[in-house]
Amino acid sequence: MGLFDGLARWLGIKKKEANVLVVGLDNSGKTTIINHFKSEEYKNHDIVPTIGFQVEKFKTKSLSFTAFDMSGQGRYRDLWQAYYRECHGVIFVIDSSDKLRIVVAKDELDALLKHPEVQRKRIPILFFANKMDLRDAVSSVKCSQLMELENIRDKAWHICASNAITGDGLDEGIQWLTDQLKDVLVKK
Amino acid sequence: MSAAETRSGSTEEKSDKWLDAYRDPVASLYTFTQCITLADIQADGDWKLIIADLGTGMFNMKLKVYKGTNLMSENTIIDLPTGVVTFYMDLNEPRTPAIAVASGPYIYIYKNLRPYFKFTLPQIEVNAVEEDLWNQMKESSLNVYVLREMLEGMRADGTPLTVRSLRFLQLQDGADMVAFAEMYKNTPLKKQTVITCLGTMKKSMAEEDAISCLIIGTESKCIYVLDPEAFTVLATMPLPIVPVFLSVTGMFDVEYRIVASCRNGCIYTLKRGTTDTEKSFIELNSQPVGLERIGKTIYVGCMDETLQCFTSKGKKLWTVQVPASITTIEVLDYKTKGFKAVLVALSNCEVHLYKEKYLVDIIKTDSVVTGMRFGRFGREEGALIMTTRGGGLIIKILKRNVVFEERDLTGGPPAAQNVKLNIPKKTKLFVDQTMRERENAVAMHRTFQRDLYLLRLRAAREYAKALDKSMNPISSDPTEPLKLAAQVQGIGPVFKMTVNLQNTSLSQASVNLLITFDFDDKLYNFKKTYIPVPMLVPGLNYAFETFIECLSDKGVSDNVKVYVLKEGKNIPIITGVISMPVSETLVVV
Repeated sequence: MGLFDGLARWLGIKKKEANVLVVGLDNSGKTTIINHFKSEEYKNHDIVPTIGFQVEKFKTKSLSFTAFDMSGQGRYRDLWQAYYRECHGVIFVIDSSDKLRIVVAKDELDALLKHPEVQRKRIPILFFANKMDLRDAVSSVKCSQLMELENIRDKAWHICASNAITGDGLDEGIQWLTDQLKDVLVKK
Repeated sequence: MSAAETRSGSTEEKSDKWLDAYRDPVASLYTFTQCITLADIQADGDWKLIIADLGTGMFNMKLKVYKGTNLMSENTIIDLPTGVVTFYMDLNEPRTPAIAVASGPYIYIYKNLRPYFKFTLPQIEVNAVEEDLWNQMKESSLNVYVLREMLEGMRADGTPLTVRSLRFLQLQDGADMVAFAEMYKNTPLKKQTVITCLGTMKKSMAEEDAISCLIIGTESKCIYVLDPEAFTVLATMPLPIVPVFLSVTGMFDVEYRIVASCRNGCIYTLKRGTTDTEKSFIELNSQPVGLERIGKTIYVGCMDETLQCFTSKGKKLWTVQVPASITTIEVLDYKTKGFKAVLVALSNCEVHLYKEKYLVDIIKTDSVVTGMRFGRFGREEGALIMTTRGGGLIIKILKRNVVFEERDLTGGPPAAQNVKLNIPKKTKLFVDQTMRERENAVAMHRTFQRDLYLLRLRAAREYAKALDKSMNPISSDPTEPLKLAAQVQGIGPVFKMTVNLQNTSLSQASVNLLITFDFDDKLYNFKKTYIPVPMLVPGLNYAFETFIECLSDKGVSDNVKVYVLKEGKNIPIITGVISMPVSETLVVV
């Protein structure tokens, strides 16, 4: 890292960069969550189902994020693993109102955790129990129970209930992820 | 009950092909495969589960709609439902399909989960005599007992009666009969049929959301095609017997095929423009319990614990014996992988998955599955809905990357059977010979027969001669039952001959016998040419020996005959012919 970069970072002009992978089943709200963090001028007003994946950039106070917004549709889920190598953190979005498919989300999470690229790395995983505003949504505690998150022992994880449309709970989650990522990036 | 609680209570082992999405053993659903369907009834991409619940079988019949695992709406049905389908009846946006529930002689149509229309099947003509009887009843010129007797007579003749008459015949008490007749005699007599099965068929377009006709099978041995917009009967197709399961493909305005399995254990195929149902049908050797179609093959689950497969032309392809009786069958059509198979629910709490005739997967459940539906549910493509005999609801989801072994290891002919043998080409000689045989078959057969007779005659003659001269080693004389066996030992020029004699009678001893030999005295020299035989005790083996010297050194040999004679008789009792071995030349050292 050059001297100039270090100086710029110290002054707060250039921020550290982090790649995060945003995954989850289709219709869980991944793109809407990313949309929330984008600055006002770049915001999308109508969210359509993502095809393949999209790369979005956004900044928080101390980090600059590059988010790989993956498509959650069944036929694109095999794409996820291609990005495991480059990512520093994972955001896993769960539709907490879709009780039927939580088991599918769990299956995909298990596959993610078993992948060798993920296993050998120390990456924080942030879970959003999204759509908490809906009537038949389950609580974040119940959600983590259904996903059997307590069995994840070698990764830092955090779950927070969210509502991507209003933005409730999103900042709290990203704050946790930022703290975790800073640790990871410093140690590198 | 939440999914977590039920899942932890589950005892079954984890399958590598199915995810357990939901399990509620006390959902109190009483339904069958025909009464379960999946559809996007709100056009929001979230497919709902629609179940017509038979309640107790008498009361509490309900049309239930599930959104995910939650019950979204409930509508009371008046009579027992026999089938539920969803279909698009108009071109209005948003594209919401209507739900059709068959019940009694009616089809109830629901749109946006609200009752929308009730269609009544056309009435059947009432038997004139029966109508006349009830008319007389109305005019009070008839006694209830007379009416009962007349109706009973008609029923015995096999005349189909109206529901009113049948109910009347069930009454035992005189007062009840009078009350019943009084109550109903003034209302006109109607005869209605009952719907047995329900299906849908696209009208003129093949799109997923194109307008569909309803196909109705009835107790009056008819199949009706209903127009979805005007609710008029577009076509009526008579069948020889009551249909119970329908499988429909094609489009009404273009070309279609309705396969109906019937109560007589036959499967009839109806095509556009054909009226003759008698011509093409499959006769099953057992009653069908389910009928499904994949492409051009028809799968039938039968009561004799078999799954049978036929071509659409009615040719049987194969039969698979299943380990228990079949409760219902359903097609698994996983479109994203292009995988099609048949799910067979069995009475031993298992669901078997057959890809063609190969068993590829077994799902174990904790109760007997009576209703199944595979399809899109919620946002998930491969969901399997199962209802159990105990009223439970089980939902399983097919894993995204599932791979089914298309062939199981057991069964089937060995590979060697399919290897083609290298058969040489037919030679000219072979062809000529074949031609000759074909042309002269009769003459050849006659020649063969003549030769065979000659051979038999000759054999018979020789046998008679042998008997005559006692030329055989077992005595044919009943007074002297003897067996002779002779053997020659040695390499020459001196041989040793052993003659074994045995009396084969049970109790009679043989006396006054002697052994002598017939030989060429230029070739052989016998040491003893005459052996007197002592009394032969029955059953014992006697051995007599003599040495033979071969006189020739030219390497020739001859036959030697052994005679067993009785004193005072010139015909031998038995004769043994021994062919002598070639003698080794005498080596003088």
